[in-house]
Amino acid sequence: MSAALLEDAVVAAQGDGRPSRRGTRWRRLLGFVVPLVLLGLWQVVAEVELLSPRLLPPPSVVAEQFWVFFFGETGTLTLAGVVPFTGAGGDHLLSSLRRAGIGWLLAVGVGTLVGLMLGLSALARDLLDPVLNALRAVPIFAWLPLALVWFGIGEGAARALIFIGALWPVLVAVGDATSRVPRSYVETAQMLGTPRRWLWRKVYLPSALPEVVTGLRLSLTLAWTVVIVGELSGTTSGVGAMMNAARESGRTDQVVVGILVFAAVGLVADVLLRLATRRWVRWADA
Amino acid sequence: MSGTLVARGLGKAFGDLVVLDGIDLEAQAGQVLAVLGPSGCGKSTLLRVLAGFEPPTSGEVLLDGRPVSGPSPQRGMVAQAGGLFPWLPLRENLSFGPAASGRPAAEVREVVDELLSATGLDGFADALPKQLSGGMRQRASIAQVLANRPPVLLLDEPFGALDAQTRLRMHEWLLELLAERPTTTLLVTHDVEEALLLGDRLCLLSNRPATVVDTQPVPFGTGRGRAVLADPAFVQMKAAVLERVLAA
Ligand SMILES: Nc1ncnc2c1ncn2[C@@H]1O[C@H](COP(=O)(O)OP(=O)(O)OP(=O)(O)O)[C@@H](O)[C@H]1O
Ligand SMILES: [Mg+2]
Repeated sequence: MSAALLEDAVVAAQGDGRPSRRGTRWRRLLGFVVPLVLLGLWQVVAEVELLSPRLLPPPSVVAEQFWVFFFGETGTLTLAGVVPFTGAGGDHLLSSLRRAGIGWLLAVGVGTLVGLMLGLSALARDLLDPVLNALRAVPIFAWLPLALVWFGIGEGAARALIFIGALWPVLVAVGDATSRVPRSYVETAQMLGTPRRWLWRKVYLPSALPEVVTGLRLSLTLAWTVVIVGELSGTTSGVGAMMNAARESGRTDQVVVGILVFAAVGLVADVLLRLATRRWVRWADA
Repeated sequence: MSGTLVARGLGKAFGDLVVLDGIDLEAQAGQVLAVLGPSGCGKSTLLRVLAGFEPPTSGEVLLDGRPVSGPSPQRGMVAQAGGLFPWLPLRENLSFGPAASGRPAAEVREVVDELLSATGLDGFADALPKQLSGGMRQRASIAQVLANRPPVLLLDEPFGALDAQTRLRMHEWLLELLAERPTTTLLVTHDVEEALLLGDRLCLLSNRPATVVDTQPVPFGTGRGRAVLADPAFVQMKAAVLERVLAA
């Protein structure tokens, strides 16, 4: 018996037909080619002054401003009289991150709870689905005027908007994923002795997690998208506030610095989220 | 020893579709009852009712004389597709049951280690189900249920999806496993050879709606292996039973 068992153990342990490591590593580097080419093109166009630097500052200038934004001597330049620029990058970034983070976490909490309710209870689905679908159809920015009236210009309105924007992807992903958990998993768990009150944690959540993580990533992107609207509407801190002030002062180079910061942070946050959840969603990889 | 499972007048209908019609059967303690029936006759439905996943439309299920309903670790069921949770490594799949019933961690570990070696999966404790072969997955599914030491084991065509050689190995493995830990077993299959090789008794079901056509002992003794396949008496009985299944 043991010899026979060993045989199929060996079969299972052999290659799984994925392309070799080497191949995929080179492939990954390809993703850097396009940005490098674009950067070169940008520098050339700016250097021959095809476009005025006021419309398109050269990358070298932007890079310099990027450095000044984060590491320059504090307080030497204040945009539009109120928004600090030199050396203020860290502070602006932190305040944007905090704004987006609070709104996002709130959305994740509420979205997960309501999503679980929708996914697990047909009654909740019947009660809430029409209302939620109607609310979901409202464009995020259509809430802006109301948010301004309710929470005033600045922090409160920004958070409310981020919360609403980030809420739907989480809620929909959790609801959909949990309602589609195969009944056989639930039956097996019950047959093995899992009490009803633990099913959501032992079965529904882990089974739904891969889809939920996709929803979390989408909602993180949205939170980061909406944060700028909050900041364009009257805060004096945050990367968006800096960009607005830079535009008023005619500093396109500093506006571009803001864009780069948004791109970098969005990318890093997405990668971090994926790394943090990889352990739990590995099983669903193709 | 305990673990006698009895179905008394068991009926099940889905709307107008009558699937089970007054099933009477008894799986005696520590024995293997092989349930043979044509495809689509309601074998899986019968097991699902016995396991408590579906309420019967009529009749009742008794374990050691007491009526039972609802799924419970007392009746361990391995579904046709196996029951492993794809997100859990093998070790956690096997400890799922004992951990859910709140047994102490050290005891769970011991039970699982023992089952891992009994299934020849020692080296795969940390593997995910998708990394196992079909035969390994079926063994693991059975081990997952046995970890709870259920008095009754319900198997729904556990080796149906395997190739003929692997299936034969699985048969010998299951015989050995059950010899070491006597468990009342209800094995559903449409494979006559499997039923005769593994069963102590044989229960023949009719076409849908399923009724019990006949129950008979399998006279080849315990401790049999593949050698019995060449026994003329075995060959003869296999042909006879096959005729009856086809005629059912
Ligand atoms: N939940 C259900 N709702 C409605 N009909 C069902 C349900 N479950 C099973 N059936 C029907 O009951 C009949 C018997 O199905 P069942 O799966 O029990 O047969 P089986 O003997 O296990 O078949 P197989 O040999 O293919 O495994 C089928 O006609 C099936 O469509
Ligand atoms: Mg079936």
